[in-house]
Amino acid sequence: MSDRIERELWLPVPREAVWAAITGDGWLADRVRLDLRPGGDAEFESDGRVRTGWVEDVCAPERLCFWWAEDDEPASRVELVVEEQDDTTRLRVVETRPLEVLDLVGMPLPGAAGRTFGPALVAA
Amino acid sequence: MSTPSSDDRAGAVFGALSDPTRRALLSAIAEHPAATATELASELPISRQAVLKHLGALTDAGLLERRRAGREVRYEFTPAPLSDAVDWMTAVGAEWDDRLAVLRRRLANPAGDRRGATSGAGGRGTARPSRRSAGTPAPPPSHRRSSPGAG
Repeated sequence: MSDRIERELWLPVPREAVWAAITGDGWLADRVRLDLRPGGDAEFESDGRVRTGWVEDVCAPERLCFWWAEDDEPASRVELVVEEQDDTTRLRVVETRPLEVLDLVGMPLPGAAGRTFGPALVAA
Repeated sequence: MSTPSSDDRAGAVFGALSDPTRRALLSAIAEHPAATATELASELPISRQAVLKHLGALTDAGLLERRRAGREVRYEFTPAPLSDAVDWMTAVGAEWDDRLAVLRRRLANPAGDRRGATSGAGGRGTARPSRRSAGTPAPPPSHRRSSPGAG
């Protein structure tokens, strides 16, 4: 039983338009820097809050999977799936914190290339 | 121990996790659920006696649960104290609801595809408190811009 959020939205535009909107500035955060390749760095800044993370997997314009965390928080995993059906596009969002526990005890997260996120106590 | 404050609870958890042996123990139990002290002692370079002592500290912090199975006592990992799942679901769920509403406003209007018209306007109400509970005073901003774990 991991913490999990799921949402879905239908939009009357082609999936390329959805992809551009969800990976660009002003949606995931005011300023979005995404290195769109597996293992690529990610940074999200909104109102002075900065989240950092990395890209686990990407397949434009269909699927983006990344991890993010603020300094003192455990990392969570976000999966965005964009699917075109007839004249509409479905965006599915899943955010999970499946490995919070392993994160907290200092174990590496998948795709993180040895990086760990989480409370500073882990580093102590 | 009736309704300890979340600060007390967090203190106990962090105290329990401050010891590297206990962290190793916790990792071992997370990987092998329902382990016994004997099994754990065989995996770690410490005595069964020492394992029992650390298991006690972790259990007191609410990170482990003891289950009796016949003559054995088995330990289960209980991650609840590490996070308040409900808080997280509420805060993160609200964030996504906001984001999806923004996206719908932007893209669900087939007539007006005026892209970038409001770029930079501070119209989005993102003044929600951070995911941490609003009761804890925010620490002064740290200067750790990014600490990619050098080392």
